[in-house]
Amino acid sequence: MTMTATAGHAHADPHHIGVVIEHPGPAPKRIVTAYGFWIFLLSDIVMFSCFFAAYAVLVGQTADGPKGSEIFEQGNVAIETVCLLLSSFTCGMASIAADVRNRFWFYLGMAVTCVLGLIFLVLEFREFADLIVRGYGPSRSAFLTAFFSLVGCHGLHVSAGVLWLLTMTAQVFAKGFRADILRRMMCFALFWHALDIIWVAVFSVVYLLGSGT
Amino acid sequence: MLGKLDWSAIPFDQPIPLIAGAVVLIAILAVLIWVVAKGHLPYLWHEWITSVDHKRIGVMYILLASVMLLRGGSDAIMMRIQQAVAYQSQGYLPPEHYNQIFSAHGTIMIFFVAMPFVIGLMNLVVPLQLGVRDVAFPTLNSVGFWLTATGALLVNLSLVIGEFARTGWLAFPPLSELSYSPGVGVDYYAWSLQISGVGTLVAGINLVTTVLKLRTKGMNYLRMPMFCWTTLASNLLIVAAFPILTATLAMLLLDRYLGFHFFTNEAGGNVMMFMNLIWAWGHPEVYILVLPAFGIFSEVVSTFSGKALFGYRSMVLATMAICVVSFMVWLHHFFTMGAGPDVNAIFGIASMIIAIPTGVKIYNWLFTMYGGRIRFETPMLWSVGFMVTFIVGGLTGVLLAVPPADFMLHNSMFLVAHFHNVIIGGVLFGAFAGFEYWFPKAFGFRLDERWGKAGFWFTFFGFFITFVPLYIAGMLGMTRRMQHYDVAAWRPWMIVAAVGMAVLTIGVICQIVQLVVSIRNREALRDRTGDPWDGRSLEWATSSPPPVFNFAFNPDVRGEDAYWDIKASAKQQSVDADRPEYQDIEMPRNSPTGFVCAFFATLMGFALIWHIWWMVILGGLGAWATFVVFAWRDHDEYVIPAEEVAAIDRVNVEERRGLVSMAGTV
Amino acid sequence: MSDQTHMPAGHDLAPGDEEQHSVGARILGYVVGLVLALLLTATSFFIAGTDLVWQPSIPVALIVLAIAQMGVHLVFFLHITTGPDNTNNVLALAFGLLVVFLVVGGSVWIMAHLNANMPPMDQIMMRQ
Repeated sequence: MTMTATAGHAHADPHHIGVVIEHPGPAPKRIVTAYGFWIFLLSDIVMFSCFFAAYAVLVGQTADGPKGSEIFEQGNVAIETVCLLLSSFTCGMASIAADVRNRFWFYLGMAVTCVLGLIFLVLEFREFADLIVRGYGPSRSAFLTAFFSLVGCHGLHVSAGVLWLLTMTAQVFAKGFRADILRRMMCFALFWHALDIIWVAVFSVVYLLGSGT
Repeated sequence: MLGKLDWSAIPFDQPIPLIAGAVVLIAILAVLIWVVAKGHLPYLWHEWITSVDHKRIGVMYILLASVMLLRGGSDAIMMRIQQAVAYQSQGYLPPEHYNQIFSAHGTIMIFFVAMPFVIGLMNLVVPLQLGVRDVAFPTLNSVGFWLTATGALLVNLSLVIGEFARTGWLAFPPLSELSYSPGVGVDYYAWSLQISGVGTLVAGINLVTTVLKLRTKGMNYLRMPMFCWTTLASNLLIVAAFPILTATLAMLLLDRYLGFHFFTNEAGGNVMMFMNLIWAWGHPEVYILVLPAFGIFSEVVSTFSGKALFGYRSMVLATMAICVVSFMVWLHHFFTMGAGPDVNAIFGIASMIIAIPTGVKIYNWLFTMYGGRIRFETPMLWSVGFMVTFIVGGLTGVLLAVPPADFMLHNSMFLVAHFHNVIIGGVLFGAFAGFEYWFPKAFGFRLDERWGKAGFWFTFFGFFITFVPLYIAGMLGMTRRMQHYDVAAWRPWMIVAAVGMAVLTIGVICQIVQLVVSIRNREALRDRTGDPWDGRSLEWATSSPPPVFNFAFNPDVRGEDAYWDIKASAKQQSVDADRPEYQDIEMPRNSPTGFVCAFFATLMGFALIWHIWWMVILGGLGAWATFVVFAWRDHDEYVIPAEEVAAIDRVNVEERRGLVSMAGTV
Repeated sequence: MSDQTHMPAGHDLAPGDEEQHSVGARILGYVVGLVLALLLTATSFFIAGTDLVWQPSIPVALIVLAIAQMGVHLVFFLHITTGPDNTNNVLALAFGLLVVFLVVGGSVWIMAHLNANMPPMDQIMMRQ
């Protein structure tokens, strides 16, 4: 055994840089769960960044098809944006209600969030359907490919969010405000707000910048 | 009803995959029948398949990696034989089959050998080193493993149902687009990577959160063992890089399934965008693989030199520097694409810069060994072998980072030799070192030293006999992925490489024998103290194999090399002078969520590949329902009573006391 | 695992969690965030459609407004602050943003150079 030879090296923090604050131990579950989900959100944002990069690279490749300024409808986008913004707010209200265990306001907040999310999805679906009917589907040009994928990817996330919202509300209905359900509610709120942030990038980069010349 | 699937998907005219598939199928059936007949099925189900214990999941990851290593290795043997015989002839593998083999070899070795091996080791060891009872998300951990297994299953399924991609391991368009690859090969490739990619992402999130948020009392960042640091860096890279792979493959799939134009030649698509994106994932990926290996070598070198790691803080800094810089070098994989001198120069310089922190690490290991009492046991042999091999690979890498040199060597056998040099010499040697080093911890007995050392020497020399000829062939102008060739000068080197492959194979066989021999002699090799190597970090502070709760008490850490500290102070006092009172321990309950979810993912993946749309919907609904059922359960933890904890712990303390008193006599 | 959670509160904060506040103060935070976000959105839409401002400044203004609005969302909705209890959350965010910046910026830069050096086939033909 070589223990005796080097045991002297094993002393606490040999470098003595300032005062060492002892790590207090594992974090509570609420922090662990939310942090893990936060990391997931960041990875999701990196995934979106690839679609943004593809959009930025392919935006000029219209293959003699329509340009952005010819197909984007600002009014539609503005309504979509307001829907998502308001739903972010009502989602915040629902999470406050969940924290203070107020079922009425929780259900109301979630219901409004859900309705606003659905309105957003319907509007987006109509926009897509209209474009496809006019022959401007994603196969028309690389620009439209990138546009449909980026906006559609966000739309898929919103759809998944609505499904999650419904599942979780049902769970609160069945089980009440249990600790693990509250943790999920917190993750859901993070998810919904993050989707809104991505939408800010989408409407700024795709619709507003794309509408210019 | 069954989409594109019909009897023509089974390759009745190709004997090699059919026989291989039949053999594997029979083997699996035999094992299954044996398991059922012996009545092991309930044990397997309760203790392993549904287990959420990070140690069990880690072991299953490593088992998966080992099995797939044999599959990928067989591909390698077939390729080396083909190139040895295919001089001015067609060899024995037709082109379309040969192309599938090199594509499958690369895909399997990276995604289903190297990745699960390092993730398995991280899973097994990191919570123990941090002094905690489990990872941050135990059930998700199980989901991650089973999704990885799903990916592996789909890749192997392509052997007998349909075909695998013929496009190389990264499926470059336009070759991988529908017009040039109309078969299901690329779909097998893309969907299995998408599914296993989700599993990897889950594992990455899990381990990042574990390292950052679950550390025992006093385990400050700068007291974490080096392996925890490299785990953190590697998993940060997973979290940041794997979404890029997911997005890129999604774009390729949209092109193939819905007629999009990301990477097509028509309608303004840009082929080069695929290279750009896939390598933005691909370069961090190599650091995802090699950083954990660096961590393993740090642990092994320090333990077997009997010294604290030299330059711990510089090592931490180097690790984190690699973590960031690895995202700034991806273009060196396609210097020849034509982005021009400005771009090439900057990425060339960045690629050379990243060699600096790697060099720092090499010096740190050398200085750790300097003046230490080095024990050349098998893990240490792999580490020293790594240093020699990896330096060669690193230097050829710096050579390739020079854009003009790269223009000569791009896609040549020189490149093939280079990346095998760093991946075998770095990642695989690291995985083997970690396997030998932590095997006693996982199973409670050591591996046989003689067979282990034989395995090392055969692998080490086999590696050089195989790949030095490939460097030379590359210099002679041989490009990669050649099914046959007409240049006489390459022939001798291909034959030498085939001989080297045989030596490598003997090395692998030695390691299999080692495992068998060790299991048979397990009583003699039993590790009763939990500390077989005189280790320095907390995983050695508990018994081998550790109890399900890892530690009866959360260890209180007061410095670097936490366990060394405890051992040093224990010699002066009595070993358990202030053993506090035992308490009940809550542990997460096992859950079949991962397995069931992977079952539906397999259905869904298979259905997507063959365009069986009703089955896609079924699989998707099933996966969602699985999660709802999981979310609905009322009790997710169970309690281990204090008496049981005490009973388990006391046995270990007795053994350990023996160790300390023995050490005192030396 | 819950027996490991004996940590003093306040040292660390989950992303999305706020410091201890009354319900009224929390609602107020969301209201302020909503008002600011709506204002910034309205400005963006206004600027994009107007010819009252110098045209070349519009893209820059839109990007600045978008970044500002993302900041508002982060602070008022996601409660990411610079406090010491938020260090880990902010560091993770910074790493994510660095990667986003590298991927988007790098791709655009590389592909722009590539297109300049090796124009796509149709553009070569158009030049001829």
